[in-house]
Amino acid sequence: MPNLTIDGRSVEVPAGTTLLEAAQRLGIYIPRYCYHPKLSVSGSCRMCLVEVEKAPKLVTACSTEAAEGMRVLTASEKVRQARRDVLEYLLINHPLDCPICDQAGECGLQDYYMDYSLRKSRFEAEDKILRQKRRAAGPYLMLDNERCILCTRCVRFCGEVTKTAELEVMERGDRSFIDLKEGRALDNGYSLNIADLCPVGAFTSRDFRFKARAWFLKRTPTICLGCATGCEIEAHHYEGTIYRLVPHPNAETNTWLCDHGRMTYKAVRAGDRLGKALIRKGLIDLEPALRETATRLEEAKGAAAVLGSPWLSVEDNAALARLAKDSVKTANYCFDFSAEQGIKDGILVNKDPAPNTAGTRTVKALYGGLSLEEFTGLLAGGKIKILITEAKAYGLVKAAAEAAGIRLIIFARNRGEAPAAAYAVLPYASYFETEGTFVNYQGLRRMTAAAVEPPQGIKPLWAVVNKLASYSGAELHLDSAPRALKDMDF
Amino acid sequence: METILLKNLPDIEAYFACGGYKALKKALGLKPAEIIEELKKSNLRGRGGAGFPAGLKWSFIPPGGQGQKYLVCNADEGEPGTFKDRELMLKNPHALIEGMAIAAYAIGAAHGYIYIRGEFAAETALMNKAIADARAKGFIGRNVLGSGFDFELFTHRGAGAYICGEETALLESLEGFKGQPRLKPPFPALKGLFGSPTVINNVETLAAVPSIIENGGAWYAALGTGKSGGTKLFCVSGPVNRPGVYELPLGTPLRELLEVHCGGMKDGKKLKAVIPGGSSVPVLTAEEALAVNLDYEALAAAGSMLGSGGVIVIDDGQCMVKLLQVLARFYHHESCGQCTPCREGCGWLEKVLDRLEAGGGSAGDIDLLYSVAEGMTGRTICALADAMAMPAMSFIKKFRGEFEAHAAGKVCGN
Repeated sequence: MPNLTIDGRSVEVPAGTTLLEAAQRLGIYIPRYCYHPKLSVSGSCRMCLVEVEKAPKLVTACSTEAAEGMRVLTASEKVRQARRDVLEYLLINHPLDCPICDQAGECGLQDYYMDYSLRKSRFEAEDKILRQKRRAAGPYLMLDNERCILCTRCVRFCGEVTKTAELEVMERGDRSFIDLKEGRALDNGYSLNIADLCPVGAFTSRDFRFKARAWFLKRTPTICLGCATGCEIEAHHYEGTIYRLVPHPNAETNTWLCDHGRMTYKAVRAGDRLGKALIRKGLIDLEPALRETATRLEEAKGAAAVLGSPWLSVEDNAALARLAKDSVKTANYCFDFSAEQGIKDGILVNKDPAPNTAGTRTVKALYGGLSLEEFTGLLAGGKIKILITEAKAYGLVKAAAEAAGIRLIIFARNRGEAPAAAYAVLPYASYFETEGTFVNYQGLRRMTAAAVEPPQGIKPLWAVVNKLASYSGAELHLDSAPRALKDMDF
Repeated sequence: METILLKNLPDIEAYFACGGYKALKKALGLKPAEIIEELKKSNLRGRGGAGFPAGLKWSFIPPGGQGQKYLVCNADEGEPGTFKDRELMLKNPHALIEGMAIAAYAIGAAHGYIYIRGEFAAETALMNKAIADARAKGFIGRNVLGSGFDFELFTHRGAGAYICGEETALLESLEGFKGQPRLKPPFPALKGLFGSPTVINNVETLAAVPSIIENGGAWYAALGTGKSGGTKLFCVSGPVNRPGVYELPLGTPLRELLEVHCGGMKDGKKLKAVIPGGSSVPVLTAEEALAVNLDYEALAAAGSMLGSGGVIVIDDGQCMVKLLQVLARFYHHESCGQCTPCREGCGWLEKVLDRLEAGGGSAGDIDLLYSVAEGMTGRTICALADAMAMPAMSFIKKFRGEFEAHAAGKVCGN
């Protein structure tokens, strides 16, 4: 455990700790481009040079290990001069096209220039080396070599994390450029992490491109519901519209975020997003649709069934359980879901595509109900006339329900999710628009947060259920999300 | 003085006739530690340019029989103004092979590689033949001279990059990767070729080893001066009457090399400057050059370096701005591009020199050149940036008048 001092403050760190990490422990930030905590050390950008007393030269903080008695200076004139110089070198061949660059506002060159340089460039602008401007480098990424500072984070990410090694530094010297290997594309399922990793505007997201300025975006921490892994993310939004999802690195689940997860926000403002209900494929306001649904439930008394969903929050499943027990007053309900869980690609993607299989167990524990097998058998048996469930969960019983000609009441957010044969489709708020509790494959219980408002008149599913029950003459008193969790034992 | 290295013994029989491979026989009767001790006594310093004590370098290899270790000979002679290793390989290849066998025995390496500059096709063919001859006689291969020591030796041709003369870039290239210097530590003595402990020595360094083992470290040290033991090959280029490769004891006055051995300046030309150790080292004015001795300490005291021993002679008909432009073009072309200061700085220097040389610069360009070079110094993974910056700064310091004339519009036009 070497003891060292950094800028006059002493710190004890485990053997093998680098100066950059040791400084971080003291809250001292050392600027860096090529260094990334989850990638191998490259040591080439030279931005993290610091002064070590008695060392003949400045050393890279990212690669130099702390040693007993070391005295490190991170802000001496020598260090500051080295940073100014590195920044000047980096900028001489940079196009300075910030006004049309998506990275502006969150750019390592802009930020460090303001923090560590502010020096006027002594380089003649007409002398700049020109490189290839934007070109698609895969389904999600745009590559602009002229903005690149050759930190090689992208190359190392593809080599070390996805192990797909699509990228390489071609040529040498100031002719160097990042390129795809022949015949390759960045389609490894994690490519958008490269847009996050890239400290400048060389790799940008094709999806986010030219949509919003980074400084306008508000950031809401929430959970990705793309699979049972349940990654922590941030939804970046502005004036009620989400523009992108980025990972919120945490020790429990994720540093990165997969491309599939990143695109899950698209459904929120998709063209087929339901702002009203459907009865027999015809658009109708929610209130009359609920009255109609209540009437059909009344008709079918004793022959109605309710199926929960591992795609819904614990609150919404609990609300469906209450609907079955206290409003429809039937024992024909099921909250029994199971799936093989675990990371299937060695990185993040889970074997279980549903985000809340584990969460439905708590609902089942409190409310009981049929097993999925019994429930499917019940549907196939022909005694059930009407089924209430969520669109994706319907997929689990579709064959049995179709064969028996059961009338379908489907909760769906997008028209495309709902089966064409549905009698009623009831819209509800997406989990980017409302809080919901989810339990991931590790048993971690996490909440989504409302980043944006739902479309006018659209409510959380538990609230829709509450209203449906009241049209049927039962008061469930589900007037808040926590109320839906009443009596729930996690 | 009799030369030690520069002998014309290209085939093995001639080498035998001069007592060749006796040192290897002697070495195999010694303990590895005794050989390293002898090397330390000899004050043999690395002849590739950095001048690191060879015995000390060998002693960094973890002793003991476990694990693979490698010996690599750096024959990627690319330093402008340097052409001694080529000469050695052509004239005295068995001294290198014998030196490598001794070195490999001393450090416990069973495999050796000679990484030869790509352009050296004839030299590679000759080395391959010499290695085959040595193998046929039992000096290379399994159970060398019945000692139980195995040593395989291979040649490998580079692909033409100057940077591959940097020892860790050479290792990358030898492993089949792009030639780019590695971040140090770890140093090659602990983690070198294929991740194993490795010694990398220059051709001239290794070729000096047999004579040290045969005659003793003290004998070798006494040939030179102070901490600079032995003789050194000097490659003289430029307008002297007899340019070429000379083997002289370290400590020989540079004046003697130029005036006696090289026969003075050609056609009555006047000496203006000398770059004493290959293009990467600071330049000396004529006055400084004629007062300095050719050894590591004296040249360091004069503000330059012995380097590779590439002595570049510059007469007063040459333009220093033009010469620096030529150097900048070279280093700009050869920078590997990993480290920001080198990648961007070399090209920037070239651009400023281009406009100065063409008479289109301004007075501010001279300080700009100096400060760009200063910003590259000591800030990169390897020494290539320094190799560009050191000449640049010394040219400006010592010949500022010529730069000022160009800034004021002078055009040399050559």
